[in-house]
Amino acid sequence: MTTLLIISALLVGAYLVAVLEAWLANGRFRLTGPLWATVALLGRESIVPRTPDRLFFETAPVLLLVAAVLAAAVLPLSPSLIIANMATGALFINAALAYVLVALLMAGWGPDGAYALIGGWRFLGQVIAYSMLVVMPITAVAMRAESLLTTDIVLSQSGVWNIVYQPLGFVLFFVASLAVAFLPPFDLPTAGGELAGGVEAEYTGSRLAVFRLGRMVLIVSLAAATTVFYLGGWLGPVLPPWAWSAVKILAVSAAMLLIGHTLPRVRETQLLAWCWKLGIPLALLNIFIVGVLVLIWL
Amino acid sequence: MSPDLLIALLTGAALLGVGIYGALSQTNLVMIMMGVELILAGALVNLVAFWRFLHPDNYAGQMFVLIVMTVMALEMAVGFGVAIARFRARGSVEMEEARELQG
Amino acid sequence: MAVITLQTFFIAGFGLAAIGFGVAVFRTSSMMRSALALLFSQTALGAMFLAMQVEFLGVLQIMMMATEMSIMAIFMVMFMMDPGGLGAMEMTHQKRLSILAGVVGTLFIAGIALFTSWGAVIATAPPAAQQTHDLGIELLGRSMLIFETAGVTILTAMIAATAIALPSLQRNPHHEP
Repeated sequence: MTTLLIISALLVGAYLVAVLEAWLANGRFRLTGPLWATVALLGRESIVPRTPDRLFFETAPVLLLVAAVLAAAVLPLSPSLIIANMATGALFINAALAYVLVALLMAGWGPDGAYALIGGWRFLGQVIAYSMLVVMPITAVAMRAESLLTTDIVLSQSGVWNIVYQPLGFVLFFVASLAVAFLPPFDLPTAGGELAGGVEAEYTGSRLAVFRLGRMVLIVSLAAATTVFYLGGWLGPVLPPWAWSAVKILAVSAAMLLIGHTLPRVRETQLLAWCWKLGIPLALLNIFIVGVLVLIWL
Repeated sequence: MSPDLLIALLTGAALLGVGIYGALSQTNLVMIMMGVELILAGALVNLVAFWRFLHPDNYAGQMFVLIVMTVMALEMAVGFGVAIARFRARGSVEMEEARELQG
Repeated sequence: MAVITLQTFFIAGFGLAAIGFGVAVFRTSSMMRSALALLFSQTALGAMFLAMQVEFLGVLQIMMMATEMSIMAIFMVMFMMDPGGLGAMEMTHQKRLSILAGVVGTLFIAGIALFTSWGAVIATAPPAAQQTHDLGIELLGRSMLIFETAGVTILTAMIAATAIALPSLQRNPHHEP
């Protein structure tokens, strides 16, 4: 029951994110737009390239979707609305997000196309850049909660939300989550106008529909993770817990889409240089500051 | 008695065997490293099984697993370093072409 | 007397999956397939740890191996003569010896596993949250020195690997940095 509820919530979230993205992209707000786009995609022929690695070609979109759903499985929408409240939840979400990389590598290698291949390997470089910026801010969050349980992490923020307690970690995690979902300005693996769609280039029809759905769910999952780790999850006055979660998740998704819309695409070398020379020292500083705060103030 | 421990140990033994086969039979340095990874994975299963089924109160067992995971990562890092250097110098990492290393 | 529980079933299933993917690593000639087969072998091991109720290590294994083996994939594609496996190149040598060594090794270890009396198997594991907590205490208590040594070793290996991999500027003066 809980599982069904959360998965339908994810789908609704993904749909709304798709509406938002279309609104940002072509300036028209149409609530039924993604629905027709999906129908059109499903109606089209799903072409298989001439010499694909069939196994990877078929698995990649599904794996992307599964990884995104698994990431959301450990995040609570309300005190009881959580699929699996694992004792290692904050670590598990990293594990689930790591399989986004595997899915994109498969999608890059599978169709045997040059643009897709470049897109897939680019994402590997991107992962090496951002992965530390996902793990280290979460470490600081877990330090404050003294637990890896995501519900405990939310409860630890009942006084002050983590966005106030550790703003540096929030900024780093937010940037990293943009990179995980390969949203602009970090859309290196898809890179419209440069790689002609990159990893998506060879996908058409129903497979592309699954791929797009996976990415939308991934955005929602990351927004949910940001909400749980930094914005106090379901906490808030008046409204019921699930409503607070929904509002916050939608707000974070909108922010993720909006910010990327205003920035130019980052170059791979720049991304690596910034993440390693600036991001990781800042993440370490964040851990240090949080450690001091936990010791002297709580 | 539950057969879980035995199953885990046999899995470890099989992974070791596959790993030995790979490390000895492959001609490419990177493939040999994959064999070594499998051998270490076999060790990992054994360690986890020993901790879980024989000494769940002694966390030095889990510590040991962490160290083996570290070793796996290090083996990769250093191995790839060597592979890059070798590829720069000779244009290949094939073992058959590394006869000059023979004593 | 053997008791087949659901747990045993899952442990055996994931164990077989790990072995199967491990064999697949050396049976395909596509490097990408080979690397990802190793990845899924390691992931199956992680799932097996989860089935054994060793939650932290299982999740850690699943997480670490995803990135590690993906990096392996790009190196395999870089350094292999025939990364796509379309040319059906022979990439093995001393095959009979290797198979023999593998089989003997397996049988030897399996024999030890079978004929040792391991004593009583403890059926219940500590709860997952307890495990995570106690491992943390172990890491920062009794095993701290080992943990620190591992950290320093990682640093050393990082520097050493980078130093080896960097092109030597003296040998190749025309190299562009």
